[in-house]
Amino acid sequence: MAALRDKYAIVGTGKSRLGQVGANSLALLEEAIKNALVEAGLTNKDIDGVVVRGADDIYSHHQMVAARLGVDASFSTSLDNGGASQILSIILAVMAIEAGLASTVVCGYGRDSWSRTHAKGGVGLPQNDLIPAAQRPKEHGPEFGHFGAVSQHAFGARRHMFEYGTTRDDFAQIAMAFREHALRNPEAVMKKPMTLEDYYKARLIVDPFGMFDCSLNSDGAGAVIVTSTERAKSLKQKPVLIKGFATHNNTKGWIEEDHMLSTGAVESGERAFKMAGLGPKDVDTAQIYDCFTYMVLTQLEDYGFCKKGEGGEFVRSGALRMGGTLPTNTSGGQLSEAHVEGMLQIVEGARQLQGIYGPERQVTDAEIALVSGHGGNQVCHSTLILGRA
Amino acid sequence: MSDYKKPIPVPSAESQPYWDGLREQKLMMPRCNDCSSYWFPPSLLCPRCNSANWTWTKTSGRGRVFSYVVYHRVYHPAFAQEVPYAVAVVELDEGPRMYSNVIGIPPDKIVCDMKVEVAYEPITDAITLPKFKPLAA
Repeated sequence: MAALRDKYAIVGTGKSRLGQVGANSLALLEEAIKNALVEAGLTNKDIDGVVVRGADDIYSHHQMVAARLGVDASFSTSLDNGGASQILSIILAVMAIEAGLASTVVCGYGRDSWSRTHAKGGVGLPQNDLIPAAQRPKEHGPEFGHFGAVSQHAFGARRHMFEYGTTRDDFAQIAMAFREHALRNPEAVMKKPMTLEDYYKARLIVDPFGMFDCSLNSDGAGAVIVTSTERAKSLKQKPVLIKGFATHNNTKGWIEEDHMLSTGAVESGERAFKMAGLGPKDVDTAQIYDCFTYMVLTQLEDYGFCKKGEGGEFVRSGALRMGGTLPTNTSGGQLSEAHVEGMLQIVEGARQLQGIYGPERQVTDAEIALVSGHGGNQVCHSTLILGRA
Repeated sequence: MSDYKKPIPVPSAESQPYWDGLREQKLMMPRCNDCSSYWFPPSLLCPRCNSANWTWTKTSGRGRVFSYVVYHRVYHPAFAQEVPYAVAVVELDEGPRMYSNVIGIPPDKIVCDMKVEVAYEPITDAITLPKFKPLAA
């Protein structure tokens, strides 16, 4: 895999409008892709690969996206690894180009969960209702009042608290750090500062998670363009190098073995670092999949930024904040910018390395970014390590 | 019991013997005849050794709370009167883990690793739920 290090690059990134937009996911994705193409100085004529993900009930999603773009693709598909899909789309793009199946691939994800859950009279429905009814469990869960992703992740948080003495104060540190970053990001949905008191005053959803432990319910999309570093030389933007990547899916199940305490980031991170020829100490900024606060804490441990069980101490040190030892989720993340299933974290990692931000938002001398993706039934994981060209 | 409004499990071909066992107050799990391991939920092959040679076997019904959460948000109208209620991942002494409720104890008294035993709760003629209560000392 080291042979692929730096051989491919991200040459354009784009976002759609974010938050309470009121547009469907395909339109949002189209908007983000257009922005990425413009940034790259490319047009639809240059695209021959499409690897995307959208809402789980859109059949042949990649075909619809390519049709909107007016692209016949030599390589295209839609992904099904939940929040781990977006990094996987970049991995597949690299593999496809390496295999000669495509030359320039658009990767993207669009979501309209705010619109969908507020469609009926403005009353917010649980995220769980976004899963098509036929795919929801019919036994071994709902009869006990057990529904959806919040509680699944909360099981992990509770067990971590039990085994390592982690507390909600630690989770609050993560939520507050990302909120502080969101205040520096004009595109972020959340605009108000968060104090520890605010964190505890927010209503409990599934204890130990309160509202501010949970990511946002957003409309939005993100996209990036992947091509060879060789081709990138003639393009408009300075490329962002793809240095390492890997996946690991604990597909035996989230509640099996020690999976809720030790995610696929362990194996995925180890292989991605090896491909990149780097280690945790080389990372200047991390963009960690933050569906819930606890998932940031455990992944920081799993990637080796601190030891297992010491995530609480690590986040209390202020490491995640701008100016800290590992500025993390510098856009505000999914907890405070918008929840676009990890796609915006790839965009943010790339942009930090392009060095496009003003001093308030820019991680000083950022050369290496680590981005993580997590999802599916809480077990799919993907890792992307990017570098400044 | 026709006024029962909570979700009623819909057995699959694979899980029907499990539900049949619960109706007779037996917590049955698949057990591999080759490697002796139990597993849940039921499937056609032993997940450990992929043997198709296995038998529905009665478990002790005892285990521990591996983890638990307390629902405050109402995700289904039939649970509106129940919140806050606890949902647990229970690990049976035989190994398999399953979702259930811990009953007979306030949610704030539950702790990880506490010992529990099954308590059968019939909800229809066909379906009995396996809930768990603290193991009597």
